[in-house]
Amino acid sequence: MKIAIGGKGGSGKTTVAGTLARVLAERGQQVVALDDDSNPNLAVTLGLPNSQAASLPAIPRDWLEERPDGEGGTRLELKVPAEDFIERFGQPVRQNLTLLVMGQPDHGGSG
Amino acid sequence: MRGVLRGLVSTTSRVTVVDLEAGLEHLSRGTARHVDTLLLIAEPYFKSLEAAQRSFTLAQDLGIGRIQMVANKIRSPRDEATVREFAGRHTVTVAGMIPFDPAVVEADERGTAVMDQRPDATSVAAIRQLADQVLMSA
Repeated sequence: MKIAIGGKGGSGKTTVAGTLARVLAERGQQVVALDDDSNPNLAVTLGLPNSQAASLPAIPRDWLEERPDGEGGTRLELKVPAEDFIERFGQPVRQNLTLLVMGQPDHGGSG
Repeated sequence: MRGVLRGLVSTTSRVTVVDLEAGLEHLSRGTARHVDTLLLIAEPYFKSLEAAQRSFTLAQDLGIGRIQMVANKIRSPRDEATVREFAGRHTVTVAGMIPFDPAVVEADERGTAVMDQRPDATSVAAIRQLADQVLMSA
């Protein structure tokens, strides 16, 4: 199941995303919460302390690889299986719940 | 980073919950292809509902299978009626109604999760219902 949460800034989308991820994990689902917002603050609504949320690992570029995008350009893709990537860069939040922060524009240089 | 997102969402066997960039302009067809459910959060006033409706159309164009609205910060039966009326007029499914909840404001101010701050909060109860609904129809 792949759920995306969208909405205007201020609509409460991050609170809904974080709480929904927590509830699904409680229900026994293996959940990875992905923060794709360029102003990432999903960590806090998941319940990670601020200090920890501020020190989430950056994603180095050498885990990514440029591949043809089929439209004459290239795009960055994962070099390793998703599970390895989640193990390496995911922040364990609670049982069944891991956070990955994608949205920081300086990490990797590709928007 | 969008390549990473796409790679992860398409290949992990875990349930993924993606908190998207505000507005859907950055959502590419490649990423959207791997998302099976999009929940659009809207507040119960016209501009917010209109914005959600535009996102709804955009997401349909991107080919996302299940797109539903979740109304947030509902303060009154009138708010609820506003959302239902709008959704009915635009044939949008409302997956959940989350009440306005001071516990959320309090949690935001303290930098904590509302679930940890007040596990019995009305908003948390509504999101539990939303989770049931999402799981049931998965």
